[in-house]
Amino acid sequence: MPAPGPATARYGGNTSCVQVSLSDGTTIVLDAGTGIRPLGLSLDPAAGPIHILITHLHIDHIQGLLFFAPFFDPRADITIWGPPASGSLEHRIGRYLSAPLSPVDVRELPAAPEFRTCPAPVWNVGSAEVRAQLVAHRGPTLGYRVAEGASTVAYLPDHEPALGGRLEGYEDEWISGFALASRASLLIHDCQYADEEYPSHRGWGHSAVSDALDFARRTAARRTLLFHHDPLHTDERLDVLAGEVARMWAARAGAGEVSLAVEGNEVEL
Amino acid sequence: MVDERTAPGQQSLQLILARNLISTLSTPAMIVDTHETVVFYNEAAGDFLGMRYEETGKMSLHDWRAAIGSAGGPIPEDQLPISVALRERRPVHITTEVHPDDAAERSIEMLALPLIGTEDQHEGAVGVFWPHVGDQP
Repeated sequence: MPAPGPATARYGGNTSCVQVSLSDGTTIVLDAGTGIRPLGLSLDPAAGPIHILITHLHIDHIQGLLFFAPFFDPRADITIWGPPASGSLEHRIGRYLSAPLSPVDVRELPAAPEFRTCPAPVWNVGSAEVRAQLVAHRGPTLGYRVAEGASTVAYLPDHEPALGGRLEGYEDEWISGFALASRASLLIHDCQYADEEYPSHRGWGHSAVSDALDFARRTAARRTLLFHHDPLHTDERLDVLAGEVARMWAARAGAGEVSLAVEGNEVEL
Repeated sequence: MVDERTAPGQQSLQLILARNLISTLSTPAMIVDTHETVVFYNEAAGDFLGMRYEETGKMSLHDWRAAIGSAGGPIPEDQLPISVALRERRPVHITTEVHPDDAAERSIEMLALPLIGTEDQHEGAVGVFWPHVGDQP
């Protein structure tokens, strides 16, 4: 759930949303958490196509949809991609964008967004090649790999690859999400729990710090941003966690750079 | 549709989760992919067969049938539940006699379930087996 306020002012309190700007002017938006509200206000709806790639339909990943300003501009060209499941993506998202949860029905949006289930196995979005794959989380959940030229972003915000055992015990092919993240320029990965918090949350679909770092090391991502902070973690708590991350990453002798994601940060690849 | 199988060097999520599950079971269990390869079997299955996954790695279903064996030779393909589950995409349960290497013939029950993923994507099958109740000491 979103947790904006003074206690989360530095790392950010919005739920998952990442903008990827492609060289051809296409905008990819990874998830539609509450972070999509300020993002929408900063976009020119007529500037180019907007593709929203939804990993899964848990509320923290679609909660901002109703407040995405380009939806209310008929000039906007918007496509929403999402995971396969029973029923159309429009119908499933329509459960949220309809009464009694919403005053506006999905069919009333002036931009008339197109809803599409992710095709197999790779497809093009603007100048990028996108790959989607089901990953270990509760319910049908996709991870994404967006590649343009030599740059790749792997996005696995809700992911528990170590469910059932530590990653070092598995071959690469048996690690959920491995192919998506392998040697990515930038890996954005779940790290909701401190190690001591994880045992009481095992099976909820999120990673502990150790497991996120093991995943980053095994996949050899050049840079990793630890993402999806627990809403109970304040800036002060995350500062402590960042110190633990640095120490644990050094102990693993990982080659890439690892840090906690901070809302509003920009990375050029 | 998302085709989980096409990512290079990556098992599908359904197989990964199945392996996670049977790794924690004391019931002998195995997983077969759609290429009729036994991609994993757990420690209990290894104990039953007298071999370890860590040593053998993956094996063809044909070799598996030979390993599990019976007095008259390998279990016929059309009688092995996991083969039927894989090819006909339906659950199968049988009681049969087997004769693994270095072990006396015994009666076991075998159950196999097809793994059908999202949008009816066929991912493989999981099989479990255990001593027939009437034969337990």
